[in-house]
Amino acid sequence: MTFLTIVVRGLLRRPVRTGLTLVGISIGIAAVVALVGISRGFEQSWATGMKSRGTDVVVSNMGATLTPKPFSATVRDRIASLPQVAATCVIFVDLTSIEDSSMMVVSAREWGGFSWQNLKLISGRMPKDAMEPVVVLGQTAAEVLKKKVGDTIQIEAEELSVIGIVDGGAMVENGSVILSLPLFQKMSGNEGKINVIDLRATPGMSEDEVRRLCEQINGLIPEARAMVAGEHLGNSQAYRIISAMSWGTSLLAVIVGVLGVMNTMLMTVFERKQEICILLAIGWKRGRIMSMILWESALLGLLGGIVGVLTGSAGVHLIEKLPAIHGLLEPDLSVQLMIFSVAIAVGVGVLSGLYPAWRSSRLTPSLAMQG
Amino acid sequence: MKNVPPLSDFCASHDCVFEAKGLKKEFDDGRVQALRGVDFHIEHGEFVAIIGPSGCGKTTLLQMLGALDLPSGGILHYRGNSLPDLPDPSAYRAREIGFIFQSFHLLPTFTALENVQIPMFETEISASERNDRAIELLRSVGLEHRLHHFPSKLSGGERQRVAIARSLANGPSVLLADEPTGNLDSENTGHILELIIRLRHEQDMTLVLVTHDLNIARMASRTIQMKDGLIVSTREAPHTAN
Ligand SMILES: Nc1ncnc2c1ncn2[C@@H]1O[C@H](COP(=O)(O)OP(=O)(O)OP(=O)(O)O)[C@@H](O)[C@H]1O
Ligand SMILES: [Mg+2]
Repeated sequence: MTFLTIVVRGLLRRPVRTGLTLVGISIGIAAVVALVGISRGFEQSWATGMKSRGTDVVVSNMGATLTPKPFSATVRDRIASLPQVAATCVIFVDLTSIEDSSMMVVSAREWGGFSWQNLKLISGRMPKDAMEPVVVLGQTAAEVLKKKVGDTIQIEAEELSVIGIVDGGAMVENGSVILSLPLFQKMSGNEGKINVIDLRATPGMSEDEVRRLCEQINGLIPEARAMVAGEHLGNSQAYRIISAMSWGTSLLAVIVGVLGVMNTMLMTVFERKQEICILLAIGWKRGRIMSMILWESALLGLLGGIVGVLTGSAGVHLIEKLPAIHGLLEPDLSVQLMIFSVAIAVGVGVLSGLYPAWRSSRLTPSLAMQG
Repeated sequence: MKNVPPLSDFCASHDCVFEAKGLKKEFDDGRVQALRGVDFHIEHGEFVAIIGPSGCGKTTLLQMLGALDLPSGGILHYRGNSLPDLPDPSAYRAREIGFIFQSFHLLPTFTALENVQIPMFETEISASERNDRAIELLRSVGLEHRLHHFPSKLSGGERQRVAIARSLANGPSVLLADEPTGNLDSENTGHILELIIRLRHEQDMTLVLVTHDLNIARMASRTIQMKDGLIVSTREAPHTAN
């Protein structure tokens, strides 16, 4: 018999209560895994989307809405001439519901701009000219919308035909409906307006130099902010709200977990009062009693964390498969997130065990003689 | 017990284990006076029986000897060291004292073998040594065939045997027994007492035993009679071998 046997035996004496407490913590941890995994995945898929477009800096005005605020296309002229800027591509991004599918990204790109270059044609062809009334679909978008080359698609009250299906090399790209900027501007009455400028820095620039370039651009244009690609999402107020909400919900779930474990451990201390006094009477140090209680609650946390990570990941995979979301979500269920979540759970266990452990250490051994 | 400096010639004999002078214990802010100033000394190897009516302070006295609680006044020494001033009372309880309780007080979620090992966590021996030693102890109380039984599956006499084996786990020099046969029938009472007395002899331990039973008290080398928190008489048994 080892000390661990004693700890495990303590948890097993009330299997139902231990089980329910485990369920409590694991729900909390599952929420952490799911919410953080989804929001970080969202962030990362934007970053890879930018990379596959070959974009180093994104210039946009992320307000409180999910799509950036439009500004004049002439803003580009003020930054394109900077020596560190290799190329620019103006874009109008919109998030809109198309036919009976939920929100889709519509990406209207400058005709001839570099953002077209990374699209690999899977079937069909690319548009012939800037005003041809056609779209190409990222492969996931095509799946979600159930469209193939030759079908028509309704955007902003216009009927356009699907002329090609492309692989954009990243989830955001593959989930997009892509068309030419002038065509979209005319259709949507946004002539002369854009809301994003993708920017390529001169090759070989370090991250710091790119960051300095962003600052320089921000000095030049008040209409929008330049951000290193991938980081720009974090600047969106809407995204920040979503992110804060998911962290807030996780925190709440963790607090509920703490209270659950603390309650269980307090109950176990009260219930085992006499046994603890006997342990003291036969020579156990108070520190050993405390560590027994702390190990029990830490173990509860560890098991809850493992179960939580498993159910959380399973849940995210299920959500990912939902037709409404399919292809729009690339959750970040990294090993780091799992380890982080299990560590949180163990932390929850230890934290919740502190007060009960302290209570247990204050029992007096002479109580063992009574009864 | 090594780092505590010995007190001077407080104890008359070299072999003095416990020495008390004016020992008091109050509860509830003095409303209950469980011990009202008792003087006694117990020598190494003695078998002392403590008798007296219910509520006279026998258990309280045993608690003081086992450092389970602090006295409210007076002096109490163990081998020349003041018990209330022990730097580490848990180490004293673990190594010097073996406790045997009236209601056995085994831990219900552990087998006989495991119960006996529990005090050994306070000493630095390996898991396999713990196991071997516990088996040896259970054999010495005649329970080698009940190693993996939980307390609920043992008879009263068997439970007390496990508890006795547990009290010997760390080789104590003093056994403190509070009515160890109080919950047993007369047959088991005889066996358990024989066992305790035999083990005390084999391992050269001092035994302090609280009992209601005058027949048991007669087996002791000395009987301390208590009443209302005081010692009213001490009687040596002239012809009983220790
Ligand atoms: N923790 C306590 N709080 C208050 N009073 C106590 C406490 N422990 C003991 N007493 C009181 O002290 C007195 C002596 O109690 P003790 O348990 O020592 O008696 P005892 O001689 O062992 O009796 P019994 O033969 O019934 O076991 C009793 O009046 C008891 O009520
Ligand atoms: Mg008593």
